[in-house]
Amino acid sequence: MTNSYRLGIDIGGTFSDFALVNDADGAIRVEKVLTSAHAPEESVMRGIGDLSGAIPDLLSRTSEVIHATTLVTNTILERKGAKTGLLTTGGFRDILELAREVRYDIYDMFIRLPEPLVPRRLRLGVPERVLADGAVLLPLDEAAVRQAAAVFRDEGVGAVAVSFLHSYRNSVHERRAAEILREELPAVTVSLSHEVHPEPKEYERTSTTVLDAYVKGVAEGYLERLAEGLAGRGYRERLFVMLSNGGTATVETAKRVPVQIVESGPAAGVEAAAYFGRLAGIDSLLSFDMGGTTAKLCIIENGRAARTRSYEVDRRHRFKSGSGLPAAVPVYDLLEIGAGGGSIARVDDLDLIRVGPESAGSAPGPACYGLGGAAPTVTDADLMLGYLNPDYFLGGRMALDRAAAERAVGKHLAGVTGLTTLEAAAGVHEIVNENMAAAARIYVAEKGKAPPELSMVAFGGAGPVHAAGLARKLGCPRLVVPPHSGVMSSLGLLAAPVAFERSRAVRQILKAVDLAAVEAAFRALEAEAGDLMPDGAAPIVRRSVDLRYSGQDYPLEIEVPGPCDTSSTKADWEARFEALYRSHYGKVDDDNPVELASIRVHVSQPPPALELARPPAKADAPPKAWRDIHVPAGAGMERAPVYERAALRIGQEIAGPAVIEEPESTTVIGPGDRLRVDPLGCLAVDLVIRRPAASGDDADETPHPAAFGRR
Amino acid sequence: MQLDPVTIQILWNRLITIVDEAATGLMRTAYTPSVKEYHDFCCALFDADARMLSHSTVTTAGFLGIVPEVLRNFIAKYPPETLRPGDAIITNDPWIASGHLIDISIAAPIFHRGRIVGYTLCIVHHLDMGGRMSTLESKDMYEEGLKIPILKLFDEGRLNETVFDFMRANIRVPDKVLGDVRAQLVANNVCARGLKGLLEEYRLDGLEALGAEVIDRTESSLRRKIAALPDGSYRNVAVLPKVPGCDDEVVVKIDVTVAGDGITVDYSGSSGEVGAAINCSYNMTRSYTAYPVKLALDPHVPNNEGGLRPIEVIAPEGTIVNSRPPAATWGRTMISHLFPEIVFATMEAVMPESILASNGGCPANEVYLHGRHADGRSFLAIAQHSGGFGASARHDGYACLCFPNNTRNIPVEVTENEARMYYVRKELRTDSGGPGRNRGGLGQEIEFAILDGGNERARDVESSVRLSGRTEVGPFPVFGRLGGRNGRGSGLWHNGGAVDHGVYRRLAPGDRVRFVLSGGGGFGDPLEREPERVLADVEQGYVSVESAGKDYGVVIDGAAMTVDAEATRRLRARARRPE
Repeated sequence: MTNSYRLGIDIGGTFSDFALVNDADGAIRVEKVLTSAHAPEESVMRGIGDLSGAIPDLLSRTSEVIHATTLVTNTILERKGAKTGLLTTGGFRDILELAREVRYDIYDMFIRLPEPLVPRRLRLGVPERVLADGAVLLPLDEAAVRQAAAVFRDEGVGAVAVSFLHSYRNSVHERRAAEILREELPAVTVSLSHEVHPEPKEYERTSTTVLDAYVKGVAEGYLERLAEGLAGRGYRERLFVMLSNGGTATVETAKRVPVQIVESGPAAGVEAAAYFGRLAGIDSLLSFDMGGTTAKLCIIENGRAARTRSYEVDRRHRFKSGSGLPAAVPVYDLLEIGAGGGSIARVDDLDLIRVGPESAGSAPGPACYGLGGAAPTVTDADLMLGYLNPDYFLGGRMALDRAAAERAVGKHLAGVTGLTTLEAAAGVHEIVNENMAAAARIYVAEKGKAPPELSMVAFGGAGPVHAAGLARKLGCPRLVVPPHSGVMSSLGLLAAPVAFERSRAVRQILKAVDLAAVEAAFRALEAEAGDLMPDGAAPIVRRSVDLRYSGQDYPLEIEVPGPCDTSSTKADWEARFEALYRSHYGKVDDDNPVELASIRVHVSQPPPALELARPPAKADAPPKAWRDIHVPAGAGMERAPVYERAALRIGQEIAGPAVIEEPESTTVIGPGDRLRVDPLGCLAVDLVIRRPAASGDDADETPHPAAFGRR
Repeated sequence: MQLDPVTIQILWNRLITIVDEAATGLMRTAYTPSVKEYHDFCCALFDADARMLSHSTVTTAGFLGIVPEVLRNFIAKYPPETLRPGDAIITNDPWIASGHLIDISIAAPIFHRGRIVGYTLCIVHHLDMGGRMSTLESKDMYEEGLKIPILKLFDEGRLNETVFDFMRANIRVPDKVLGDVRAQLVANNVCARGLKGLLEEYRLDGLEALGAEVIDRTESSLRRKIAALPDGSYRNVAVLPKVPGCDDEVVVKIDVTVAGDGITVDYSGSSGEVGAAINCSYNMTRSYTAYPVKLALDPHVPNNEGGLRPIEVIAPEGTIVNSRPPAATWGRTMISHLFPEIVFATMEAVMPESILASNGGCPANEVYLHGRHADGRSFLAIAQHSGGFGASARHDGYACLCFPNNTRNIPVEVTENEARMYYVRKELRTDSGGPGRNRGGLGQEIEFAILDGGNERARDVESSVRLSGRTEVGPFPVFGRLGGRNGRGSGLWHNGGAVDHGVYRRLAPGDRVRFVLSGGGGFGDPLEREPERVLADVEQGYVSVESAGKDYGVVIDGAAMTVDAEATRRLRARARRPE
């Protein structure tokens, strides 16, 4: 019997999702169990037990288990990590509390900031100093480190973060301090800033290192128990964990720097969207996951999503940057917005309707849930607008109260603004879409993309309800609603090829770069990343370069072919950089020299094949019902056909307006939109959108070759 | 196009999105930490009538009252009918634009379907504009550097190269400054694209109807809040700290009158212009006068022209709050940063819940260092550090949080990579927060040293360190409010000797400069602070055992870290007894 199964496990706050694929025939099996908050590994064993009912000896026949978890995030949010001490360069122990000394809201005098994870009395400085160029100004005072260790011991500290100035350039003191701490405090976990985040800017590096130390014990214990549990049930292969940037790591790597898995779960969702995008042949897509309290968007191009290191955990204002604890680890550059089905609508001081970010959650929930919620929410509006079926929510397991929704909207919104109840409900739907669109526009622009280039892939309970409206606002011409949206993330774990990325800083003027050395560096990185790959499949190798004008911080990443030591390489890189720069920023014709900031290598397995269950229908399904739905910019309510998704035939076409219902979600399309069931069972919708602003229209921008140059 | 409440909300958000995108473009393409890290800039969008509709949310408060006027001044010189696609207008004139030469303003018309539909403006505080480097000692504008009158920087897409030739010839680090000017052009490009996209998407010909809604709603929101205050007149006289090298006494007189739904702030009777670089332009005064009103009354409404309309600011010409050319202005925040707390102090009795005690870092600290690296490259680094935040009726003040400006610190490691120096310490200062029922935030102590570049050109470093000038014993300490005590700690030392702040100083390799930024003022009677909160402060080293007893009347056993409740009761009873 061959090892023919692969298993994806995604542990969320409420549910743990499992997706099992049989590599022999591509068949997928899914499972969903409640998460045990106190011991998440128990939910894993329970879910595997359920799956094993159909497949004896499942784990001994499994070649790969990939895991995503919210454990690290929850440990931080719930402040359940280790009692942590911080060792810093003497004179700088308060860096963690000083942060960036700036208010994240310029007009709110009463803003709140998160408490530093290490209180001041556990932040100790020791004499040592490395300068910006890496030179040692003051040797490490080893006796002082031992004294600090004694304080930590007396305080019962379980983890120590070490963050010395300029350790990203010379880590000698951090490494020596770690040796001493391990001697003095053998039971204590140690996190070193040059290992966690080897980059300048002391606050961000220290914060990240402290977060790592804080969660390390919890993560190690959990991952070890999980690995043992799997081994005890016959699993003999390596356990992989999904990193926050969709990369995979062995469980040993994840344990070494656990802060890297802080956004593991959302990354799996991105992988799932990327997977469907690949299957559907979409090069550039915008994933859109809208649940009860938040919506997440992410740009995915050629199967790859943008990444960032400016991530924050535990924001006091979830949607204001600067209000949380920086975790400068590579994460997918997701956009998270306080917009979900539970988002509450109200009238503000300007007599205008505002939606969110406050959410009614599941308790008391939207007014229409009848669980005590009185405030109007997005779900209430969607119900009133005919988008949701009161008798088919969660497949009919929960009845929605339309009259309650109308009362809430009427009392709190319509009366005050002078709108009719229906107009107010339409306003709520429109505003929440616009809120998402407003944030998405900045996000898309920051990534240098134009919405017309992007197709939207929508999932999550509320995603397909709002997707067409949001995509239309943004100017995305095409919408895809994949099947299996209920377990998207666990499927994403399997869909994600095992992948590793390695990079090296160069920081040289491109013209002066020795390309032979760069080519050698590329090859070394490729070998390094390739060694981490599981045996067997020939890896796919991609190279890219980060270029910028010398003196700037933000580079643009450009994928490049190899080898790079040809006579035309520099001119080619520079030309592509300049074209991309201009498409982002318009014509300013910078003539500072172009700098090669770093080189990157991305090595991955070929995308695994997954076989999705095909809708079996042989003939077009007729509408199962007709009902009135609200049509924006139309004459209010219009009669629209309602379809059962499971009954649709592959290739069936539906013209909007129409509603397609399934137990976990509802897809709504508008007049003129054209839906087709693609061969994968995805709902592929061509949307009617207004002509976007002509791109490249920069006639009145300020061109100027040589305008600013040196003489 | 019908402008119902839903559409207004949507388009309004979009206007803010557009300027925030512009700010992102600026930061991404800038060359100096002063833009990338420090964020002393603004991006703004105007309608065709030059009314400001939106202002980037990453910005600092000083631009609030300035921005609407800058564009009006531009348009007065270059009326719309004289503008063409591809034009860009530049100035750094303090009285036309943002109050000192070191800020450059660049604006551009936005054309759509053949006509001007709006304007984009980006203002950046630059590293250098030549002249005497960043010192309070200048006696007039001519000492302060190069003045760029209102000029077309671009004329239908053609550069006025003379402007750049003059700039390059007059400033210390032209590549970086001109790089940041280029980033301002990026910001304007991004803003113009954003507006054109919005007009296209919503099939709008212009912003007239939307602009009126945005401004009127903002104005009436603030007017409603003002109307809820009791009518009356409230007066205050502030004698400000002496500026080094200037003998003139600086007095700010303020008379705040609330009448119906409007507020008038009258500075008549304030001191005249002085021969030091601290004179405010009228617009600067208006910025920091309107800011505390917005903070206290209407913080959640986006900033635009409408928020300024209910506030009339009277400042007689020729005074320090409305100076005339050629007054010296570089350090005008030495005066203007104090207006918010002077307004708060004036309104203390009327709205005690809506004010802050004084901030220990106000007026803002600035550090400039100029010299050469061992390899001959020149550097000019700017750094800023904050003092303790003032306490309020609601909260203790945070340690070292910027107010009333809002600029990020530049990381130690960034500055050390820019300049030939290193920091010796940057640490909170125990007991510096003003005692109170709510305690002021802690201030900090900073020390840096100059490294030797190892060759003749890379020895001395030119510097200036500007502090608030406030001291515990001077006429204008860091005030506590409603019984809260003043913030503590201040001073500047060069190689151990106390020296003047805000003046040019040449530093040799090995020289050490140390300075202390005060803690924030406390709020309410410190004897009312719960003993457990005092104990928690002592445990963390925010407050010493001695200060707990002396300032808070709380007796703490420092070894056991416990409160002696009985001794505390007796001590507090004694402290409350009238002398």
